[in-house]
Amino acid sequence: MGLLEKMSIVLGVIFAITFLLAFVGKIPLNYNIRNLVVRWPITLMTAMAFTLVVGVLIVMLAFVNGMYKLTESSGHSENVFVLSDGATDEIFSNLGYRDIGEIEFNPGVLRDSSNKPLASWETYVIVNQPIPLHARKGDRRRRFLQVRGILDPARSGIVHHIGLKSGVWFSTGDEGGGVREVTLNEQGKEPRKVPATEVVLGAGIARELGPDYYKTALDAGDVFTMGDKYWYVAGVMDSAGSTFDSEIWAKWKTVAERFGKESYTTVVLKTRDKEAASATAVDLVKNYKKSALQAYIETDYYERLNSTNKQFLVAIIFVAIIVAVGGVFGIMNTMFAAISQRSKDIGVLRIIGFAPWQILFSFFLEAIILSFLGGALGCLVGSFADGFTASSIMSSGAGGGKSILLKLTVDLKMILGGILFSVAMGMVGGLVPALGAMRLKPLESLR
Amino acid sequence: MAGSFEKLLLDILDDPIKLLGAVAGAVCLLALMVFSRGIFFYLRLMFLNLRRNLVRTGLTSVASMLLVFVVTLVWTILWFLNIVTSEKSKDFKAIVSEKWQIPSQMPFAYQANLSEGAYSKEGDYKIDTTKDSMTWQFYGATIDPEKRTRENIIFFFGMEPLKVTKMLDGMEEYSKEQLMELEKLCAEMVKDKRKIIVGKERLEAINKRVGERIKLTSLNYKGIDLEVEIVGSFPEGRYNQSAVLNRDYLNDAIDAYNRQNPGTKHPMTNKSLNLVWIRVPDSATFQKVEKQITESPSFTSPAVKCETASSGIATFLDAYRDLLWGLRWILAPFILATMALIIAVAISISVRERRREIAVMKVLGFMPYQVLILVLGEAIMVGALSGLGSSLATYWMINDYFGGLKFPIAFFPIFTIPSDALWWGPAIGVGTGLAGSLLPSLGACRVKVSEVFARIS
Amino acid sequence: MASEILVKVDGLTKFFTRGSEKIEVLDNLSLNVGVGEFLALMGPSGSGKTTLLNIIAGLDTPSSGLVKVGENIISTMSESQLAAWRTRHVGFVFQFYHLLPVLTAYENVELPLLLLPISAAERKKQVMTALDLVGLTSRNSHRPGQLSGGQQQRVGIARAIVTDPDLIVADEPTGDLDSKSAEEILDLMTLLKNSLRKTIIMVTHDPKAASRAERILHLEKGKLVSETISPLVKT
Repeated sequence: MGLLEKMSIVLGVIFAITFLLAFVGKIPLNYNIRNLVVRWPITLMTAMAFTLVVGVLIVMLAFVNGMYKLTESSGHSENVFVLSDGATDEIFSNLGYRDIGEIEFNPGVLRDSSNKPLASWETYVIVNQPIPLHARKGDRRRRFLQVRGILDPARSGIVHHIGLKSGVWFSTGDEGGGVREVTLNEQGKEPRKVPATEVVLGAGIARELGPDYYKTALDAGDVFTMGDKYWYVAGVMDSAGSTFDSEIWAKWKTVAERFGKESYTTVVLKTRDKEAASATAVDLVKNYKKSALQAYIETDYYERLNSTNKQFLVAIIFVAIIVAVGGVFGIMNTMFAAISQRSKDIGVLRIIGFAPWQILFSFFLEAIILSFLGGALGCLVGSFADGFTASSIMSSGAGGGKSILLKLTVDLKMILGGILFSVAMGMVGGLVPALGAMRLKPLESLR
Repeated sequence: MAGSFEKLLLDILDDPIKLLGAVAGAVCLLALMVFSRGIFFYLRLMFLNLRRNLVRTGLTSVASMLLVFVVTLVWTILWFLNIVTSEKSKDFKAIVSEKWQIPSQMPFAYQANLSEGAYSKEGDYKIDTTKDSMTWQFYGATIDPEKRTRENIIFFFGMEPLKVTKMLDGMEEYSKEQLMELEKLCAEMVKDKRKIIVGKERLEAINKRVGERIKLTSLNYKGIDLEVEIVGSFPEGRYNQSAVLNRDYLNDAIDAYNRQNPGTKHPMTNKSLNLVWIRVPDSATFQKVEKQITESPSFTSPAVKCETASSGIATFLDAYRDLLWGLRWILAPFILATMALIIAVAISISVRERRREIAVMKVLGFMPYQVLILVLGEAIMVGALSGLGSSLATYWMINDYFGGLKFPIAFFPIFTIPSDALWWGPAIGVGTGLAGSLLPSLGACRVKVSEVFARIS
Repeated sequence: MASEILVKVDGLTKFFTRGSEKIEVLDNLSLNVGVGEFLALMGPSGSGKTTLLNIIAGLDTPSSGLVKVGENIISTMSESQLAAWRTRHVGFVFQFYHLLPVLTAYENVELPLLLLPISAAERKKQVMTALDLVGLTSRNSHRPGQLSGGQQQRVGIARAIVTDPDLIVADEPTGDLDSKSAEEILDLMTLLKNSLRKTIIMVTHDPKAASRAERILHLEKGKLVSETISPLVKT
């Protein structure tokens, strides 16, 4: 990003100087603008090409930006994220409770009012779920559900800064707790009572599952099936903008039994601040002897998951550069034609007394104005992407990965970047023809 | 360098439909030229008009080529994913895996009967396990336990070596010689279970050479570390990042671990079988086998499922659905529209400069539609030629020079430009040329004949 | 005057409307042009002479009145009928030659023939005949940019006669030429009339050019004001 910002500054300065010269240097700008208006079909088409290029760029960047925003808001810098050694991601991690039960008593870990450590004990599994026929879009037959077995949901909520949008946390009582009897009213069947395990849903997955049950979204009180069991929605998490938005949190014991993963995959420990988190992580990795661990500041962990983003970003930059060359060539065509059509005008301007550099700047500016208009419109078009939800995947590039729901995000920096990108194309494409215009000999061009 | 073109030529010669298409196309073109009066003249006039402003034609053409290049890359990915996820009706593969959980982990004991398609009684369909099944056991390891960087990690398919050429996807992309070479390597793996095959790029990343022995420290089979010898590489292509391990070596090592540590079983003991692949001749057989497997009492804890490979892949790709949707419906169309606009600008300018000439042609008796064809033809010519050039260049550059398009999506690390892409370019060129020149050419045929007499005096 | 009539114009009126204003360009004008006649149209700017030429040549349609050329009543033809008719029956000569710059002299002359159903061999024969007539056989592979103004105009004339039309319309054919070239072009046109019996209608400002015609019609404000019979014809 550093390079990008420097480039923007350089471009901005060139842009500013050019405009300043336009006003100070008595450049016949009116003449150029009038010409843009007179040749409006060609002006419009050229500007439209810029609009499309910048528009699609903004949409793509909004996607990546949304992913970065998601990883930023999923992790918290005061949290320590613990995985077993060698696991490339949560799904491959194995933390036996007997071996690591003591890590929450590390002195760096904060405690709540009842003096219990603020630790979130989690088992992350991915579950296959067939999609009922009526809710299928295209030939999608199954989906992957990300299920997190949680020992103490309220505590995990505090650690992850997540509250409930509706309903309550599932109960964590002993044997039998957290399971309630619900009455099923299935179409074409007698109502019957079945046991259902309590869960809380991320808001995103609640929306995803809704259509299975002819609803826009599941909410507290609803029942759904997963695996071969019934699950009762105790509450919906206020999880928008984090990876937990696509997760189902359920009672740890149920998940462990149901999906045969009797160890933890993840432990997240809350500390005072980033320094404390960093110290605790180092301490755990170096000094915890019972089991080999990986421990990160939570934000660093999510940072590692950004490799998919980086891959996308590289692809976007690659596409942007190639498409930009296309745009540059487009405006070159327009400007070369503008100049060859107006070579007589240029001759007259020169004879009246305009200097070659003034001619140069006038045509240079014409190209810039054209690209600015197109680019600004492109930013506007691209901005419509803002707020749309899209699914994607987030991975460290070494297998695994999380399905996520992200929000396309357009921000001011991108808009500015888009306009500058467009203007840069205009500059590159306008310069060569403008130099040509400058070199025209007044008398020859009048012939 | 000419590798993929040779293959392309063979492809065309092999495929009667493609061959027929190519011949039919050539015949049609020839017929058009012979029977249509003045077609050469039209083509020549279009060509000459394009040649009169080489800078403009060149800029338009290069811009078109670059945009076609991007669209070809995008479409290559979509095309490939579309093929692997579309259901086939004949001779296709199915995957058996654990029913509910990802990653799928089943007891290795499942494999014998699963490979047969859970054959249990007279009348059941029995898969030929010598050629139509394979098992996968994922074994991830680092070559340097002190430095667990991504570069040091190798991810193995633990399988029966002889199934590599018989069951792995994409073997048809290799030449006969390459396949024979690979078969030889696999035979060596059978003789010595310690031998492994590692893809070229992975080999480069870990900085090892064929013939070297390496010590592996496992990531997912803790404590089961293997010593292996690199016997060779996959031919250039989609397995550049992959590695294959003889499954017997892994399974023997698990057994040895359990013998050496009596009382405790290795945690992966009953979870070491990840996938079983089977090949079925048709959909009816698939349904039968699926029923055999899911109804078998032997596979209940954990339960298993059987799905076609394409449907399994589609589920994995689901996470990418919006991204792929964006590629298909936003990126590619926007680029195509940009290309049409660039052509439109060039053609508009050229029509503007030639209004008088067009008027003269109309005075001489040319009909508006003839003028229309002339202008459309110019745009189509520049578009089609640029498209064709771009396709050929992309095809060669990506496949032969870069060895494929490296854009990892799910478990597809690399994409090869298909030979079908060679008609995408010209088609895109014709399409965008047509779209881009529609308005300018309508403008051209509306030029008033009386404009020829407009005078300066 | 020739006995056979090629062009018959009767009660021709042409007006444009600009907003609510009605601008009369040609006002109830009638005239006949005989077969093989060389007619010059003169008049100040805005007199309607170019409009009259356009209508007779089938480039424009009258507001009312009848225009008949040969057997065809062209005043009621559609635009595409006119285009087809022009190809067969009218040859055009322009002030600025209007050759297609990308084509060679040969190809420029060939252009109108492409619209007719004749074989390539026949096309070649006719093009060579036309080029031979204007004396440019040796220059047939030159492009307009490589030819002088007079030579370009001769290519223009070759193009006008290559389809063997009954009528040749010329719009200031010498307006852009030096006097020597102009003289040559006028000689050529006279030759067309005399040896090929082509009917020629020429609009011109130049009295010298007009004097080569048999008959000169003067227009003013859309009306015929006078008619001069050339001295050449009298003798």
